[in-house]
Order: sequence, then C-alpha cells, then structure tokens
Amino acid sequence: MTSMSGAEAIAAQTDYLAEFRIGSEPYYRPVGQEIALFDAAYQARMPIMLKGPTGCGKTRFVEHMAWRLKRPLITVSCHEDMTASDLVGRYLLDADGTVWHDGPLTLAVRLGAICYLDEIVEARQDTTVVIHSLTDDRRILPLEKKNEVLPAHPDFQVVISYNPGYQSVLKDLKESTKQRFGAIAFSYPEPAIEAEIVAREAGVERRIADTLVRIAQRSRNLKGHGLDEGASTRMLINAGLLAAKGIPLADACQVAMVLPITDDPELRDALTAAIAACM
Amino acid sequence: MNARHAAAADPALSLKENQAFPGEWGEQWRAARRRIEQAGYGGAIAAAYRRHGVELALLASPQAALRLGRAVSELAIRAGRRAAAALPEAALAAAGKPAEQMVLTRWFELVELVARQAPESVPPLLEGTGKLLAILDGAGFEAFVRMGLAAGRGDPERRLRFFRREDDEARHFLDREAGMTDFLALEGRLKSYYTALWGLRPAIREVPREAPDHLRRRVGFGGGVVRVPAAFPGFSAEDSRNLYHAALAHVGAHHRFTKSPFPAGKLKPLQVAVISLIEDARVERLAMAELPGLAALWRPFHGARPGGAAIAVGLMARLARALVDGDYADPDGWVAKGRALFEEAFAADPADQDFSRRIGGLLGNDLGQMRLQFDAKTYVVQPAYRDDNLGIWDFADQEDQAAFEMEQMIETARIETEERDDGEPDRQEPDPDPQDEVNRVSLRAEEENGVLVARYAEFDHATGRERPEWCALREYAPKTASAASIARLLDERADLTQRLTALISASRISRQERVRRQTDGEFLDIDACIEASITRRMGQTPDPRVHGRYERRSRDLCVHLLIDVSRSTGENVSGAARTVLDIERHAAALMAQAMDGLGDPFAIAAFCSDTREDVRYLRVKDFAKPYDSAARARLAGLESGLSTRLGAAIRHAGADLRSQQTYRRLLLLITDGEPSDVDVDDGDYLVEDARAAVHALNRDGIDVFCIALDCDAESYAERIFGRRNVVAFSAIERLPEKLPALYLRLTA
Ligand SMILES: Nc1ncnc2c1ncn2[C@@H]1O[C@H](COP(=O)(O)OP(=O)(O)O)[C@@H](O)[C@H]1O
Ligand SMILES: [Mg+2]
Repeated sequence: MTSMSGAEAIAAQTDYLAEFRIGSEPYYRPVGQEIALFDAAYQARMPIMLKGPTGCGKTRFVEHMAWRLKRPLITVSCHEDMTASDLVGRYLLDADGTVWHDGPLTLAVRLGAICYLDEIVEARQDTTVVIHSLTDDRRILPLEKKNEVLPAHPDFQVVISYNPGYQSVLKDLKESTKQRFGAIAFSYPEPAIEAEIVAREAGVERRIADTLVRIAQRSRNLKGHGLDEGASTRMLINAGLLAAKGIPLADACQVAMVLPITDDPELRDALTAAIAACM
Repeated sequence: MNARHAAAADPALSLKENQAFPGEWGEQWRAARRRIEQAGYGGAIAAAYRRHGVELALLASPQAALRLGRAVSELAIRAGRRAAAALPEAALAAAGKPAEQMVLTRWFELVELVARQAPESVPPLLEGTGKLLAILDGAGFEAFVRMGLAAGRGDPERRLRFFRREDDEARHFLDREAGMTDFLALEGRLKSYYTALWGLRPAIREVPREAPDHLRRRVGFGGGVVRVPAAFPGFSAEDSRNLYHAALAHVGAHHRFTKSPFPAGKLKPLQVAVISLIEDARVERLAMAELPGLAALWRPFHGARPGGAAIAVGLMARLARALVDGDYADPDGWVAKGRALFEEAFAADPADQDFSRRIGGLLGNDLGQMRLQFDAKTYVVQPAYRDDNLGIWDFADQEDQAAFEMEQMIETARIETEERDDGEPDRQEPDPDPQDEVNRVSLRAEEENGVLVARYAEFDHATGRERPEWCALREYAPKTASAASIARLLDERADLTQRLTALISASRISRQERVRRQTDGEFLDIDACIEASITRRMGQTPDPRVHGRYERRSRDLCVHLLIDVSRSTGENVSGAARTVLDIERHAAALMAQAMDGLGDPFAIAAFCSDTREDVRYLRVKDFAKPYDSAARARLAGLESGLSTRLGAAIRHAGADLRSQQTYRRLLLLITDGEPSDVDVDDGDYLVEDARAAVHALNRDGIDVFCIALDCDAESYAERIFGRRNVVAFSAIERLPEKLPALYLRLTA
C-alpha cells in the first residue's frame, strides 16, 4: 500500500491548485449586503448556505467572493448518484498497486480552498453527512478508507447552494445539516439592477434588457400557478444573447424562455401573449 | 292546373319526371305519388311532394325521393300537415349540402325521430335544416337533434326554443361547431395570462346562464371574481381570442390602478358612464407604461370615427378612442375638451383617480346639456373589451338593484376549489398573497340548493360528440352525524384497520431509486467493486455486496375516494342487514384511517344527481384538510338518495386530483350500481360518458379504479373502468384481500 503524507501531497498538487485560482475579477453586481455578509462569515470561517432560485447569481457570487478573498475555489455540482467517495476520494488501482486519490472536498480541506457544493439537495442525504465534521468546530475530515483524520486548512470554507422552491419531501436537507450553516438569501435582483446585469452580460441595449426583465416578471407571476419557477436571470441573458445576434426578441424569448420553461401548451400560449404585452 | 292534374287517377309522367325516374323507377314513383295523393293529407302536401320529389331524385337519387314519400306520410301522421308539407323542401336542402345518400338517409331518420318524440319541433327543425347543415356535418346535425330532445325532455316549450335556435344551449353548441372561440376553449390560457400580467389570481368565471342579458355581454368584476361572457358573438375566432385577452388585461388594469370604488352617490347614469370612461383611459394609460404591448392589443378594438348620429354613446366611443390613440384626429369640440382635460390631469398626477371623477363629471354634464340622447337601459360599454363598470362603483343605496343581485349570485358561486393551492411548491418561504386570501370563500352550510361550481361536458356515444357544459355540478354542504359512529365502526373490526394499514404501507409506489451495495442486483456497483478488489489486493476479505438494483422504496401516491350515495345504496346488501352505503362508508373509513395514519394525502367526496342540472357533490375531506372529527362527522352523515350521474362526478374529482403533485394519482370510486339518471333513457349513454370521463383522466396520468359492491355492477363497471381496474365484493371483510390487487396495478 502506498500513500503520500499530507506535505507530499501538497507538494505534488501545488500546480493542480493553480487551476482553481481565479485570475481576473468575475463580474458581480451587488444586490444588497451580500458581499459584506459573506466577508464577515468567511473571516469566522462560518459555513454558508446561498439560498435562492436557480440562475439568480449564486455561482457567480461565490466566484466573485473567492476572487475577492484571493482563495482558490473548488466547485462540485451535486447529483443524485454522487457518493461520499466522490467527494472525499478513493483508492484507485494502478500498475504498482493501489493509489489514493483525493476527492474535491479533501483537496479543498488540505489546501485551504473554498469548497462550493452546488445544488446540494440533489445529492443523497447519506452523501452529504460527510461535511458534518467540517462544519462544526472540529473542522476535520475523517478519511475512513485511509485511516486518517485530516484537519482543515485554516483558510478552508464550505459554501453550499440550496434552492428552496425545489425539493420534495424526498429531497431535502437533513435538519442536522441545515443547522450548521449561516444563510444568505438570493432572489432575482430588482428590475433596474437585473436589467443592468442582463445588458452587460448579454451585450444588449438597456432598452432591450428592460423589456426582458419585464417579461421575466410576467413569468415569475406564474410561479406556483403552473410554473415551478419563473424565468431566471440566466434565461434572460440567454434570450439577450440571441437578440444580440439579430434574432427578433419575440423569437429569442421563445427559444430561451417559453419553450424551456414549460411543456404545457396552454401556459406557453399564456406566456407568449404576456410577452407580447411587454413589447 | 297542376293540382287538378295531380288529382287525376293515374297521370302520365312529365318529361322531367321521366328523366328523374328512368326505367323501373318510373312505376315506383307513380305509386309513391299516388299513395300521398290518396291519403287525404291535402293538396299542399301532395303538390310539395311531387315538385320537390322530382328535384330530389335528380339531385340525389330516385331512392331518396321514394324514401321522402315514406317520411312525408310519417310526419303527416305524427307531426301534422304543416310539418309534412315543409318536409320535401327541407329534404332538398339537406340533400344539397353533403350530397351523400347515407347522410340523407340518416337525416330522414332523425326527422322521424323528432316527429315521434317532439312533434311540435318538426317545423322549426325543417326550416333550420339549411342553416344547420351550413355549419354542421351529418354527425354534428345528429348531435344537435339528440341534444335538443334531451334538453327539452317533457318540456315542449323548451324544445321549440331549442330547435328555433333561440335557446342558449343550442346557440352555444352551434357557436362552438362554427369554430367560434369561446371562453371555455380559452379558459386555462386566460387565467394564466391574467396571472402573468398582473400577479393576481382572482377567480375567473363564465357569467352564469341565468344572468340578465346586459351582464352577459361584457366582462365584469367584483368581490374577487372576474366574470367573463361565454362568448363574444359576431367576432371571428381570432378576434374573440384577442378580445378575451384585451378584456382581461383591462380588468387587471383596474385591479391594479383603481384603488377604491367610486361612490355612486346621486350621480346620473350618464355621468357614471363618462366617469368610467375616463377611469378606463387612466388605468389603461398606466398599464401601457408598464406593458407597452397592450397598446397594440387594445387599439384595434377602437373603431369609432368622426361622423355618425349625434348620440351620446357615439361621442363617448370617439373620446375613448382619442384617449388611447394619440394619432386619432377628431374635430368634435367635446372630444377635444375631454382630451385636453385628461392629458393635463394625467400629466399632473397619473395616480390620482379622483381626477377621473372630476373630469368625467364635467364632461358628463356637458353631454347632458347638449341634450344628446342616452338610454341607460340599453347602454353597453364600448369598445367590447371593456368591462361593464360595475366593479369600480359603489352603489351604496343599491340603486342598481339588478347589478347588486348579480354580484351576490356570483359571490355565492365562488368556491375554494379554484383558489386553493394544494400543490404549493414553495413550502419554505410561502409568500402570502393578500389577493389570494381575499378570494378564499368557503361553502356556506345554509346553501340549500348547493352552489353551482362548474359545468361539465357530457359525451354522447351515439354521435361521438360532447355536449358542451351539459351538466351543472353543484357542491352541497354535507350533513353531519356523530363522528364517534365512525370510530365505533372501526373498533368493531380493529383487525381490518390493521391489516389494511399494513397492506398499504407495504405497497411501494414511487419512482425507482438506485440502491447500492447489495448482494445481488441488476447492475454492478462500481464503487463497491473497486473497493472489493482493493481489499483483496491488500490481502483482506472483500465485502461481497458489489451489486446494485432499482427499487421503489416509498409511496408517493395520493388517493381520492369518490362515494356513490345514490338511492340504490340505501338498500340492504343481499342477505345482510346492512345497506350498501353502510359498507361504502365502512370501506372509506377503513382506507381513510389507514392513509391518515401513514400520512398519504387523500380526499373523500360523495355524489348523486337529479338530472343534468343538479349533479350533487359533497366534500367530506379535501386533500389540504386534516382528517379530523369534522371530516369523520361528514362521512358519518352521508345519506342515500337520487341518481347516479357518474361522469360529471368523475370529472369534478379529477379536477382536484390534477393539481396534486404526487408520483401517482388515484381516483377510487366506490359504487353499487350502474350510472343512471331520471332524464336519460338510453341505458348506454351514461355508461359511455363515464367511460369517456375515465379515459380523459387516464390521459392526464390519473388512475381510476372502482370498488363495485354487491351487484351485478361488475359487468358495467368493467366496461367503464376496464376489467383489471375493478374489484367486486359485498362483505367488508373482503376489502383487505381485494384492495391489494388495485394497489399492485399502480406499480405495474
Ligand atoms: N448579481 C449579478 N451580477 C452579475 N451577474 C449576475 C448576477 N446575477 C445573475 N447574474 C448572471 O446570471 C447568470 C446565472 O447566474 P448563476 O450564478 O449561474 O446562477 P445560480 O448559481 O444562482 O443558479 C450568471 O452567469 C450571470 O451572468
Ligand atoms: Mg373599465
């Protein structure tokens, strides 16, 4: 059995870490207190939950914060089939025998990165419990397979994202998981700010961005009345990107919003009519 | 001269007749003619037959002309001479449309059917044949005739109105067949549209048929309800569609920007109308600032132009246009004044709704002084998309009594169903919507006649068509009895509750999940495999659980129990001292107890009917409500009575189930007999309709099963629900052994 000491691993992986550093400032338009809040939470190394609907800027925000705090950022998109080993790491076979391979979480713990677990509820509950010991004052990660207990690097922090509108009874965070986190609420920014973001990210005129935001509000009114979720900022940007390529706005909205968001023909009709009212 | 000729014993055939009836046919035609002439029906009938018979032979076939002869005799006997005399010409009209012989044959049969069952209605039907067949094909015509006969059962007046096409149901049916877009067709879209635009979710309802005419021509609102005309006659499908959208956008603008109703005080009707007009323009202006696309929706309906008769409504329509359409030029002084006043006030403070009152009052006075004619009784708001204005006024002194009553009528028709959001997706952060709260009105217990909550179509198997809005579904507040009796019922056979709970809890009805680390299974668990080989290389014993499989691990199911409480359920079960209803109640109580204990969402309702105008639906327990002692008291209080109009009840329960968001949804009917109702003779009709209702639910992914108690019901039940979806028994003890079969079907 071969294994590296922690120091060896760091030596071997310093280059590896470089790819997780964020070089230039990711554009993020502050919406409220979130930057100050996150800053303070990071100083206390408090685990943070970013709560809000999909596509409202959570991922972009962590990227921005990692850049601001000059920490590497390791992002994991959670999914149903993810196991604890996928996060922590596992032995793999090679020609000479077996070799331990750090998972992304372990890597972040060792090297002092921010570990961002995106859409954490998608992972099964027995997977997510591995973060428990990292999110209380122990700040350790037991690597059971390796018989090792890894103390977290002082710079390490866990951030998770969580979409409250999403989960069913079957898919929710355990109470014991939830209670370890501080939370920052995200929602779609107010119209003027959202339009500013859309105009910049999609490269469209402000006038078009304003219209797109108006359209988004129409779809968000249907949340809970046929739609699980209204059109996200991301969808608006997508529509804007198409419009910037010369696609008429109404068509761009069909492609980027109406068709992806629902399969119900009546709702599509209603949305299409509402979109017409916005232009 | 012709008549005299016709009266002759055995006249020679004319040239035309020879053409129409070549060879052999000539003799048969001569005989047919002779029969009519000698039957003593009178000269008019004989002449009509002779003249149109020939034409019919030319247009269709010689057989058709002979068939016409038989029908003329039949009508003369059953429906009178007038009807018989009108028949030949009508037959010609029928043959002229879809000139297929088969259709014509069927047409004769239908006319004869009407002659037998509703002789008084034959003349209007014959007169209408041409018009009807311009809209309807053969099957549509048949559907129309059958509808008329069913609608006017035992009521010749009603039948006459129907076949004269003066009756609402007749008109409605024809409008739909003519492809006119009506509210029903657009309902779902319009509701979502309204919510998308305005973020509000009021109840949107069709104006009841029994409402006075002036309320049925325009949209209106009040008390949290938006009422919408069933159709806008005279508009094409495309225009109707736009009109409905325009109307709802307009009502929404009021909801948003007319903050409080205007006190009507002592204002004259003309002033009320003009103030409303200004307020309409104000809210539309504000709405267009937010949603600029509305301009393109509203403007086309403003068709007023300078000129025309000097009447108040003419000028008002022009002012209305001037205020939405900046490019519109109008030379009239009053219109110009209105425009100037409005623009000035709007520029000063668009949110100030008092200016509508002020300016409108002024302009109304001006109109009054111009002595222009204005008839408040016949006044209808223009253009057609605007609401009837009742919603923005407060008639404190009930001056407008009719309007007031109307509000009340609709008020009572409001129900929770529509506004209830069982499937609230945002459990974590429910955003309380005050508007939603406003709309929650419960059924009041004193509602003696039930509350009309929906009309459902019924499927006529004979024609393969739906009769739109045929059944009025009314919700009644169930009577209650002692809830303790339910507990006693369960105590009697506590073992049954336990067995049933165990059975249900053992059933796994959900999406498949992947389970890993199994000793056997359908696939290899890669992680476990790698681990096992590593362990082996390290010289230790590997864990043999390296497989995985797909499993249903939970139950994600909701169940709607629908109990038939028609009269027959009051009879004793064969060979026992308990009524069918007792057993139904017991079965429902057992299942409810089990599901409640397991936390499965469920609902219970009961139904019976007394003609299509009164299908009764009693809510015992709703999905969103707890199964508490009040619910048990309602279950205990169910009584037997009336008939079984199954299809409408299934449709109504289906509407509740549709909004549930579980993996599987089950409607479980508990019944004892075949569907029937006092206004239906055709034994297959309601069975086939129920079957169609079940199919519609199946299409939406809802399973419909039936528990058939103590009856020969099984055979009809199998026709409706499908053989494998029915279980039959008559002793409650059999429930636990029968039910699993149904639950098993859900996992298949
Ligand atoms: N406040 C913001 N500042 C800058 N961009 C934003 C902001 N909010 C949303 N976006 C844009 O929306 C897109 C989707 O946001 P993302 O962070 O991926 O959503 P989430 O992680 O919440 O699902 C981003 O790519 C970015 O372009
Ligand atoms: Mg109005």
